[in-house]
Amino acid sequence: MRGYLALLRGSITIGLVYRVGFLFTIFGNILYMAVAFFLWQSIYQNTSTIHGLTFNETFIYVALGSTIFVLLKTYADWQIAHEIEDGTISIYLTKPVDYQLYALCLSLGSTLTNLAAITVPVLLMMVLVFRVNFPLGPGLLLFPVSLFMAFLISYFFDYATGLTAFYTESIWGIGTTKDILVSILAGALVPLQFFPDAIQKVLLLLPFQAVYYTPLMMITRPNQDWGTLLGMLGIQAFWTGVLFVATRLFYNQAIKVLRVAGG
Amino acid sequence: MLSLREYFRLYFIIEAQYIKARMQYRVDFIISSIGMFFSSLATLGVFWVLFNSIPTLAGWTFMEMVFIYAFYMIAISPMQILFDQTWFLRYAVQQGTFLKYYFRPLNMMFYFMSERFDLKGLTQLALGIGLLIYASIQLGIAWSPLRLVLLFATLFGASLVLVSLAVSAGCSAFWITNSFPVLNLAWKLREFSPYPMNIFDGLFRFTFTFILPIGFIAFYPAQLFLRPDQVAPWVYLSPLVGILTFALTYWIWTKGVNGYSGTGS
Repeated sequence: MRGYLALLRGSITIGLVYRVGFLFTIFGNILYMAVAFFLWQSIYQNTSTIHGLTFNETFIYVALGSTIFVLLKTYADWQIAHEIEDGTISIYLTKPVDYQLYALCLSLGSTLTNLAAITVPVLLMMVLVFRVNFPLGPGLLLFPVSLFMAFLISYFFDYATGLTAFYTESIWGIGTTKDILVSILAGALVPLQFFPDAIQKVLLLLPFQAVYYTPLMMITRPNQDWGTLLGMLGIQAFWTGVLFVATRLFYNQAIKVLRVAGG
Repeated sequence: MLSLREYFRLYFIIEAQYIKARMQYRVDFIISSIGMFFSSLATLGVFWVLFNSIPTLAGWTFMEMVFIYAFYMIAISPMQILFDQTWFLRYAVQQGTFLKYYFRPLNMMFYFMSERFDLKGLTQLALGIGLLIYASIQLGIAWSPLRLVLLFATLFGASLVLVSLAVSAGCSAFWITNSFPVLNLAWKLREFSPYPMNIFDGLFRFTFTFILPIGFIAFYPAQLFLRPDQVAPWVYLSPLVGILTFALTYWIWTKGVNGYSGTGS
């Protein structure tokens, strides 16, 4: 456990090296929020609610969605693929560390850095500049738990994507496809309520919605009854468990094909 | 100095070899093309979802948005296919390998950019052309030879606007080394270019027209074909915007190249 904490600390330190980068990421995030603000304002021009969502709710959803996107974007998939391609993964195989947990610590470190450096300033901007009124309710209490599970699920997708480097060199294609599928099917760009009914029903059965839709609805609609909220959390926990086991099995299969040339 | 014709010949020879080498990795090409397919159509997918709830977006119909989007996809292809090496400038600067570009009797930007020819970008280009034809038929746009010339001229200008934006962002590597966040920001801006500019308020419209002219990557030039009778005369100058921004970018590149002193190793 101590070892993993050291990894986490190391990852945070690395993240802090590129401080100038944060400014551009924050600026990009705020710009995205501004564009989303105008886009949705024009969509809500003649109506006050669409699919039961008000402009304020939709804007909170979309703006926070882009912030969570930056938060969860740890490039763990690229990092893992890189370590497999250049053979550094062999170092971890000879040490008493679990590779899935090792990469998880690196990813978590990066997310925590992003949380402090990007999410906090962006949230302040939302309140001060865009004058967003956050509704209150029990969902806000559950949000941190939900966000942490969203991080885990997102990480398992990254991890599985990174592991495909055992079989193919085209991590760009697989990584990009994964990014797009996760962000659209999870409702990161548009709330799932806006999808046609049939598609919406299917999307709610897939694990993707647990990455964006669930935590975002905890903030957008925090005043739902505990039963509904805990049910959403339960589904997230289910997917976290399933993907944890599935990616471990995938690793055990994939590691068998590893050949590292030279040393 | 080589003539323009010799440069074309040279580029052809370099890329023919590059493509041959890449073709060893056929599976990579196929998977990358699939990735490109999804990433190219992502924003259009978002528009499709949105148009289930609204009849028009700021006065534009879905099919008109498809046309603007198709124009956008073609306009961003030259950046993707010919200038993709921009993303790798930061490594070359950081590791000092950029020094090699000083030692050939070639234009340095040409030599540097010729190192990569992004094959998956062809998927985007093909999709864009297909969608443009589809949307023109659906919208009943009549293509006279003059209109086609205008289309090529505006696409040329539009693609230069994006090349300029992204290459200048990449050039920040000469000063701050890790240009990735800057390039990422430029890439994010790029995604806003097919949005109707009339959804923005004055400040943003001014910024996207005159300061970071992403309006000229798709929305403004596409209007010349969608609603030619409502277009302001200055929109016809959009090819010029591309040439001007590229001249500015080339100046930034030259500044960066002249100030670079390697890594000392």
